[in-house]
Amino acid sequence: MMNKMRYILAMVVLLSATVMQGQDSWEKWGPTKGMNGAGVVVRAGYTLGGTSPIPLPKEVRSINTFAPKGGATIGVDVYKMFCKRWGASVGWHFFYEGFHTSADVKNYKMSLTMDGNTMSGYFTGTDVTNTDMWGMTMPVMATLRMSPRWNFSFGPYLSTYFKRNFSGEVYDNKDGIGYLRVDDPTGEKVNIDRNNPATYDFSDNMLQWNVGLEFCFDWKACRHMNVFGKLDWGMTNIWERDFDAVAFKMYPIYATIGLAYRY
Amino acid sequence: MRKYFSRFLFLGVVVLTSCFGKEPLNTECDIEVASVHVENPAEVFHHEYDTLKVVNSASDNIVFLIRSYENVAQLPLSLRITQGATAYILNEDGSAEKFRNGSLVDFSNEKTWKFRIVSEDKAWSRVYSIKVAHDYPTEGDFCLDFENYALDATGKYYEWSITDANVANVFTDAKWKNGNPGYKLSKSSAKPMEYPSVPLVGEGPDGSACVKLETKDTGSFGSMVNMRLASGSMFNGIFDVSNALKDALRATRFGSPFAHKPVKMTVWLKYEPGATFQNRLGKPVEGVIDEPDAYVVFYRNQDEAGNEVMIDGTDMFTNPYIMGIGRLSHNLNEDGSDKMGDTPIHGLNSQWKLVEIPLVYTKEVDQDILANKGYSLAISFASSWQGGNFQGAIGSKLYIDNVSVYCDKDEY
Repeated sequence: MMNKMRYILAMVVLLSATVMQGQDSWEKWGPTKGMNGAGVVVRAGYTLGGTSPIPLPKEVRSINTFAPKGGATIGVDVYKMFCKRWGASVGWHFFYEGFHTSADVKNYKMSLTMDGNTMSGYFTGTDVTNTDMWGMTMPVMATLRMSPRWNFSFGPYLSTYFKRNFSGEVYDNKDGIGYLRVDDPTGEKVNIDRNNPATYDFSDNMLQWNVGLEFCFDWKACRHMNVFGKLDWGMTNIWERDFDAVAFKMYPIYATIGLAYRY
Repeated sequence: MRKYFSRFLFLGVVVLTSCFGKEPLNTECDIEVASVHVENPAEVFHHEYDTLKVVNSASDNIVFLIRSYENVAQLPLSLRITQGATAYILNEDGSAEKFRNGSLVDFSNEKTWKFRIVSEDKAWSRVYSIKVAHDYPTEGDFCLDFENYALDATGKYYEWSITDANVANVFTDAKWKNGNPGYKLSKSSAKPMEYPSVPLVGEGPDGSACVKLETKDTGSFGSMVNMRLASGSMFNGIFDVSNALKDALRATRFGSPFAHKPVKMTVWLKYEPGATFQNRLGKPVEGVIDEPDAYVVFYRNQDEAGNEVMIDGTDMFTNPYIMGIGRLSHNLNEDGSDKMGDTPIHGLNSQWKLVEIPLVYTKEVDQDILANKGYSLAISFASSWQGGNFQGAIGSKLYIDNVSVYCDKDEY
């Protein structure tokens, strides 16, 4: 099972044109009702990924751990083929996704406001973040049948979150260096260590909505069953416009592999 | 599988972002340590460790204290500065010259030199003053009345200066220290009169200004670091804001060298405990009434190896170098530790009372060491006696005025 999934993943990633297509008929693997028919695909998959600044800012010096939490997606797509190769689909995908990361940062500009009090400055040390998001993604995609058994779909999506969490803590790095310079680099130096880390929670500063692009490969394993791999690449910053505790924009990038049932 | 997948995904992100950018240059420009070199430190200074000053990140004034009858001229000065930064010595005509460690600087006649430190990225700089000053002998007895106060450089909170030259050197930077600089970090919106330590005009027992210490809630930022309250405080010594989060008790360091043997402290006090005593987690504790603290400690300020000794919030009553202690009355456990309860014995209430606190000595004070400033005097007040551990009752108020210290007249 593991090897097979790896194999499939590799196939997805390499965008390979399969050698099998010669023997397969377009009719056999086509939509269930004729070449320009419509149908429904029910998907369930395993989601992994992260929310990251892109490109990585120079203040981030190294990533110590980057551990996506296992996420899940279930959803349904309704599609319509217009001709042998082209069609369109709309979907509703429910998801849970999250990640845990630990990064060493240097002169990382931050500003926190809580209850009308502000603490701002430049942090050097280790920053640990946990993110969890529960929500729904609605992609609207064009579908290209590259071969009888391979479909490639792409298009924009709109995500909305039911529940979001972005929290973490800052403390000293493995060399024992962890401090905030208050206001600017000449301000008071406040040492922070792992025995008494400073915690933060920016969940309420995350936007309710995200817009991005989805890319999805489907491989028709049997008459009703697809194996699929998809990538959701967020194109809008996850933060509210006036939020400045995190000095850079961050984007969710999550990939899913899974099985789909075609009606 | 998951591991491979996540690695793959991460690799993808890294490739997309073309790895990490070039490491940014350092932006800081501190003098971390300053030291002067003399051939005979024990003769010129009261302590050998006085030749080296660890500089607090908030401080830009470095003073080396030498014996009153000594003089210095050209001294080699060394500065440890932020990595990558450059030090310049500023001449009187305003020109700046690159400073090389170990260069001779003319410190005669208490001349003050200015140094500019420029960060590695050249975007930031700080100017420091460095001088060598005489530690003139002082009379023993003194009285402090809290009449000299002003807003600090940032205009956020009050600070109290010691203008009496007789006592100024008993206070590092000639100032009373307290937790106000720490409170500023947690409550940036607080007005000067909302800080834990504030002056009250005309409310002293003699109708002059007094000081009010009040235990305050530190708000959301305080909770973030598990420090939910700030006791009002007043003491002589060093409040190291840099380490207030990391190790609050050790960041509060009490005392300064003092060449007389104190026998008692008298002080006007009044006290109103806050309603609910809370523990460090902010949970109410039944059966405990908050108490203030007021104490004076006299201790040996140098260990056998010649290292500096300074008592702090962890050992102000237990440090082995302590000679004598005077403290407001409290219930204590058999091992001498503080015993919290609902029957305080300090005898204070909301009326002014002149309190006399005698020092009880457990060790013999050596006259020669005393004359050579080998002992330090610490004076400290707090509105919550367990405030160092962030326990107490929000709203506890200790009012202080006219602190007098009386010394042994037979000392010489």
